[in-house]
Amino acid sequence: MSEQEKLERLPEEGEWFDLLPVEKKLILGSLGLGVVLLFILVWLSYTVVPVAK
Amino acid sequence: MSQQTNANRPGLFKSEDWWAVWLGLFIFLLGLLRLAGVDLVGWVVKTSVWLDLSKALSPVSGALQGKLSGFASLFLTYVFLTAILSIGIASMGGKVGRFIGGFTIIFWITYICWIIGHNAFIAATPDQYAKLKIGWSLRLTGESGFIIALIVGLLIGNLWPGLTRYLQEAARPEWYIKAAIVILGAKVGLYALQSTGLAAQIIFRGFCAIIEAYLIYWPIVYFVARKYFRFTPEWAAPLASGISICGVSAAIATGGAIKARPIVPIIVSSLVIIFAVVELLILPFAAQAWLYQEPMVAGAWMGLAVKTDGAAAASGAIVDALIRSKAATVLGLKWQEGWMLMSATTVKVFIDIFIAIWAFLLAVIWCWKIECKPGEKVSAADIWVRFPKFVLGYAATFVLVLLIGAGLADEGRKLLQAGIGGADNFRGIFFALTFFSIGLVSNFRTLKEEGMGRLALVYLICLFGFIIWIGLFISWIFFHGITPPQIS
Repeated sequence: MSEQEKLERLPEEGEWFDLLPVEKKLILGSLGLGVVLLFILVWLSYTVVPVAK
Repeated sequence: MSQQTNANRPGLFKSEDWWAVWLGLFIFLLGLLRLAGVDLVGWVVKTSVWLDLSKALSPVSGALQGKLSGFASLFLTYVFLTAILSIGIASMGGKVGRFIGGFTIIFWITYICWIIGHNAFIAATPDQYAKLKIGWSLRLTGESGFIIALIVGLLIGNLWPGLTRYLQEAARPEWYIKAAIVILGAKVGLYALQSTGLAAQIIFRGFCAIIEAYLIYWPIVYFVARKYFRFTPEWAAPLASGISICGVSAAIATGGAIKARPIVPIIVSSLVIIFAVVELLILPFAAQAWLYQEPMVAGAWMGLAVKTDGAAAASGAIVDALIRSKAATVLGLKWQEGWMLMSATTVKVFIDIFIAIWAFLLAVIWCWKIECKPGEKVSAADIWVRFPKFVLGYAATFVLVLLIGAGLADEGRKLLQAGIGGADNFRGIFFALTFFSIGLVSNFRTLKEEGMGRLALVYLICLFGFIIWIGLFISWIFFHGITPPQIS
């Protein structure tokens, strides 16, 4: 492999590490918000703005 | 990161990101001039599904058809793109001569692939059979041209290293896709503008469905990729966005937001395209079998489950045709055409809009929390540096079309639609160029080293394991019981 090709090679992916606390918060926060909003949005859909057939 | 100075921040005319905005806005403005009575995009080439090759190409403008041949239109499109992209290359300090040489080859090979992909026996969907007088096709839609371009690019990239090196200066998939996304904003704005009245109700439910899909899909895919498949955040975030949200655009936007290496969203995009084709082949027929009594659920399901804009819209069109046909036969109901397609595209529109918001949120979280070293502070300026600028272009074209369109009467809106429609042809070409370039820069050996098999497995498990089913559940909750108007 030439020097140029070595330079053009992509850097290797970083080493794996376990989920960080902030990632866990992101996952749980997103899911929790999703579940809570599910009830609110379904209620809004069927009461405040019912769809005309 | 926090020590980044103004000196090493790319200027407004020095980065691909900004140049994608300028190119997209320039093409958008050319289309917009149609409102002033000037058609500056009518000469752009349009590719149609064909049986007779001589009818594959034509200029966008009906007024020019017969006066300007399809090939002349294609040649003008090539000259125009070469010129504007070369200006960008020159401004970014690239090698213009080398770019023009490479781009010429890339453009023509890509367009040949694009034309092949539009062959009727490859691309036609069942609703087009009668018009084309054919009895079968692979039903892959014209977007199969993307896959053909990708495969040809992969073959050249892996088997012809000399040519690949020559093409390197013009093989810029990120630049092309970002320019395409800026142009896409105008089209999405047009969709939003056209959907009024009863449709507004469907829009509200589509909006609700998308919020749910984002908040539930993304964290599950991210968790599975990180925890069980041991991907780093750099891979897991674009993968989660690509699988769960809107395929290529979301993967690219997320990759840009978290500053992933360019290869990451590109590889995820390749997977997205391949799986979107698989979904396109399976899901409309599954919807016809299971959901012919719940047509709007079926349409929304296509929008939520099938990745990429084109494949989702195509699935919506197929579902619309298949379910109306079955309802007429089995239920004796003749539903009005287009409502299932509308629910699919409505959902997709909101997905596209939310990409920018999601990418921004991820940029903030990555910048402040995930990549921060102990004791290191990240300033607001760093977030700006990290923010994908093409998202601004996307938002600008979307909002401008909404604002301009809202003040127009019917005749003006038709002109706006024609102008934006003409400009949107460049989006298709940029997408095709992206896929050929992706193939060109993707080395099989590198893919293997980066764990392509593992990526495909996580994609397969997440997509068919729960994305499709959660999408069906969400579609059911928000759209069940709604049926299109009946034709008397």
